Amino acid sequence: MSRNSELIIGLAMLGAGIGYLFMTMQLPRRGAVDATFFPYALGTAMVGLGLLQVIVTLRRTGFLPSTASERLQPRQILTVMATLGLVACFIAALRPLGFPVAAALFLFAQFCLLAPATQKPRLFLYVVLAVVAAVLIFVTFRYGFRLMLPGGPLTPYLP
Amino acid sequence: MLDLLLAGFGNVLSPQIFVLITLGVAVGIVFGAVPGLTAVMAIALCLPMTYTLGPAAGISLLIALFVGATSGGLISAILLKIPGTPSSIATTFDGAPMMEKGEGAKALGVGIVFSFIGTILSIGALMFIAPSLARVALSFGPHEYFAIAVFSLTLIATLSSGSMIKGIFAGVAGFAISTVGIAPVDAITRFTFGRVEINAGFSILTVLVGMFAVAEVIRVAENAHRKGAAPPAPPLLVKIKGFGFSMAEFLGQIPNAIRSAVIGISIGILPGIGAGTSNIISYIVSKKRSKTPEKFGKGTIEGVVASETANNAGIGGAMIPLLTLGIPGDAVTAILLGGLMIHGIQPGPMLFITQGPLVYTIFAALVVAAVMMLILEFVGLRIFIRLLAIPKHILLPIILVLCAVGAFGLGSRIFDVWTILAFGILGYAFAKAGMPTAPFIIGFILGPMAETNFRRGLQLSAGDFTGFLTNPISGTFLALAALSILWQVYGALRPHKIATLPNVQD
Repeated sequence: MSRNSELIIGLAMLGAGIGYLFMTMQLPRRGAVDATFFPYALGTAMVGLGLLQVIVTLRRTGFLPSTASERLQPRQILTVMATLGLVACFIAALRPLGFPVAAALFLFAQFCLLAPATQKPRLFLYVVLAVVAAVLIFVTFRYGFRLMLPGGPLTPYLP
Repeated sequence: MLDLLLAGFGNVLSPQIFVLITLGVAVGIVFGAVPGLTAVMAIALCLPMTYTLGPAAGISLLIALFVGATSGGLISAILLKIPGTPSSIATTFDGAPMMEKGEGAKALGVGIVFSFIGTILSIGALMFIAPSLARVALSFGPHEYFAIAVFSLTLIATLSSGSMIKGIFAGVAGFAISTVGIAPVDAITRFTFGRVEINAGFSILTVLVGMFAVAEVIRVAENAHRKGAAPPAPPLLVKIKGFGFSMAEFLGQIPNAIRSAVIGISIGILPGIGAGTSNIISYIVSKKRSKTPEKFGKGTIEGVVASETANNAGIGGAMIPLLTLGIPGDAVTAILLGGLMIHGIQPGPMLFITQGPLVYTIFAALVVAAVMMLILEFVGLRIFIRLLAIPKHILLPIILVLCAVGAFGLGSRIFDVWTILAFGILGYAFAKAGMPTAPFIIGFILGPMAETNFRRGLQLSAGDFTGFLTNPISGTFLALAALSILWQVYGALRPHKIATLPNVQD
C-alpha cells in the first residue's frame, strides 16, 4: 500500500475516533464510572491508534508506489457503486414490490452487472435463473420455515 | 458420563436429527468447497432455519455445518489451488502439486481421512478437557471474566495478520459498535439517534453477514470488469478409487497426524486464533520435523496431513472455551454462540451442570457429523466439483438474497436488511484498508462481556479499581494483556528498520 493510502487510513481512523468521542460527550453523566466510561476509553484508544498510524506512516520509509493493478479503475468504481445501488434498491423494494418480484429483478440486474467482461451476458439464462431462484427461496422460507417474507402485490394471491 | 454420552447418541441418531446432520454436513461441505463462501456464512444462513427446531436439533444442524465447512475447503484447495476457506490455505501447498503430478485422488483421499481423524481426536480432547476446565471456570467472577475478555481482545488484535495498529483498531471499533443500544447496569441508551430498532444494539448475525457475505459481493463486483483480469478457469474432474493411498502410507503419517492434532486443538482453544492459523503453523512444524523437508511444496502427503488434521482438530479446540466459558474463539464460534443463545442455552461453567444431557448431545452430534463428513466427502466428490463450476457472478447474488432473508428473519424487519448493507460497506472498507475483520467481530462479541463484568466487578469491590489487579487470576490475565500489547508494539517498530534495507542496499 502506498504512503498516501496509509495516511488516508490513519486519518480515517483518527476521524472515527474523534466522531465517536464527540458523540460520547453528548451522553448524560452519572458519576465517574457510568455508561460513558467505556465509550470514552474506546474513543481515546481510537484517536490514539489513529495518531499512531499517521505517525508511523510519516516516519516509515521504503514505500513502493502503487501499481496499476492496485489502483481502482473508473469502471471498477462504477461497478461497485452500481452494486451498492442495486442492493439498496432491492432492500427498498422488498415491501412495496414483495420479495419474489424484488429478488427476481435484483438477481437479474446483478447477474448482468457482475458477469465477467470476458464473457458474453446470457440474458435468457439470467432471467430464468433469477425467477427460479427468487421463487424457490420465497417458497422454501415462507412455506418451509414459516418466515413471512413480504409478498407485496402478490399477497392476496398467495396460499 | 457414559450414560449421558449414550443418551446423546440416542438423541442425534433419531431420524429427524440424523437427517438434519446429514444435510448440514452436505451443505457445509459445499460452503467450504466454494471459494468465497465460508463456515460463517453457512451457519449464518442456516441459523434462521433452526428457529422452529428444538435445541438439540438446531444445535446439531449448526455443528454439522461447522464440521462440513471446515473440511470442505480441502476440495477446492486441491483441485483448483484455491483454498475454499482460510483453514485450507496450507493444503494448497502440497495438495495442488500432487494434483499436477496426477496424484489428485490420493491428495483428496488423504485430506478427507485425516480431516476425519483430526475432528475425532479433538472431540476426544473436548470431552475430557472441557468438564475439568468448566470446574475451574466455575470459580470465575466478574473480575476474572473482564480480565479474560481484555486478554482475548489484545491477543486477537495483536495476532492479526498485517499491521498490528490496524488489528487493534479493528478490535476497538468492534467494541465501540457493541456499545450502541442500552448500556449495562444503568440502562442509558447510547448512540441510537432515537431509533428504537437499535435499542438492543446490533445483532451478531447482521454484523457477520454484512462483514463477510455482502463485503464479498462488493469485492467480486470490483473485479468483474477489471482490465487484464484472467477468465475463470474451468474445473477439473478426477477419478478416485478407494481412498487413494496405501495402509503403509497411512500408518507412516500417524505421528504427523497426532502432532498436528495437538497443534490444532491447542490453537483452537485460544480465542481469536482459529483453524486459519493452525493449518499453517502445523504445516511449518511438520516440515521442520520431517526427514524429507525438501519434498514439502512439491507434493507430499505429509503437508496435506499436517494442514487438514490441524484445521479440523480446531473444531473441538474452539468448542472448549465456547462451551465452558462462553467465549467464542473466532467468527464461526461467535455465531455458534449466537445460535446457542437463540435456543435459550447460555454457554459457560453452569452449562455442564444445568444442561448436562444437552452438552453430551452436542458431543454426539460432533462425532456423527464427523462420520457423515467422511462418508459424504468420499461419495460426493464429483458433485462438489460441479458446484464449484457455478460462476461467482451467479452464485454470490443468490447468496446475498439469502443473507437478506436471514437478516429479515431476525425480527421480520426491513431495518435489519439495511443493517447488513451498512456492515457490508464497512467490511469492504476494512478489506480495502488492509484491516482484519476477525478482531472487529471478536471485539463486537467480547465488548459487552468486558463492559458488563467491569461494571459488576466495580460494584462488587465498592468502586475500587485495584480489585482487578489484586485478584490473582484477573491480575495475571491483565498483566499478560499488557505484555502482549508491549511486545507487539516493540515488534511493530522493529520492521521499520527492515523496511528501509532495500533502499540502503540500492
